[in-house]
Amino acid sequence: MNRKKYKQLRAVVILFVFAIVGLAVVHNSYLLSISGVLTGMVFMALVRSTTKIRVDEREATVREKAAQLTYAIFAPTLGIGAFLLLLPSSGVSSVFAKGEFMYLESLGMVFAYLTLFLIAMYAISYHFLNRKYGGGGNEE
Amino acid sequence: MRNEQSSLLRNRLRVHRAMHDLTQEQLADKIGVSRQTVIAIESSKYLPSLGLAFKIAKLFKVKIEDIFSYEGGTNEN
Repeated sequence: MNRKKYKQLRAVVILFVFAIVGLAVVHNSYLLSISGVLTGMVFMALVRSTTKIRVDEREATVREKAAQLTYAIFAPTLGIGAFLLLLPSSGVSSVFAKGEFMYLESLGMVFAYLTLFLIAMYAISYHFLNRKYGGGGNEE
Repeated sequence: MRNEQSSLLRNRLRVHRAMHDLTQEQLADKIGVSRQTVIAIESSKYLPSLGLAFKIAKLFKVKIEDIFSYEGGTNEN
């Protein structure tokens, strides 16, 4: 199977999954949507494992840059969001710390932990990838 | 992906491809990349990896420097 056929097949599978999820929404069935998505994922995983689809190096570079940009935007946004949501509960303003605004503090906590998780994941993956590609060694 | 490096690197890929009477699609298939990558390399928007550059040079039976040439000065870090 060449790249073109693979892309066509992927488009068909995506359409199929969209159709199933749409149908599930209409019929209000969680099971149908989950099974549709899982079937699509398993099918694509099988196709990928049985055929050798190489990732084009330019495409890989684009993915790297996109991931880098996503991280650079998402992490500070989440961090600043957490800070702003937790700020009122720290005593600066008591208006948002009670009543219907109480959930904001919880949301702030969730954002804060997500930020920490994101940074931790980045640090761990950076560490392992750095070692994999020869960084950190003392060999001469 | 167009940076200072790519603007300093010239390539004669289009010339060699024409000499061998290959279309962009055929060249892409032979070196295992997409047609968009061949287009990007030819228009100097993307710098190929060393492996891909060797592959291209081997395909055309020439040296890498016959296809890719660096026009900047020396850069000592």
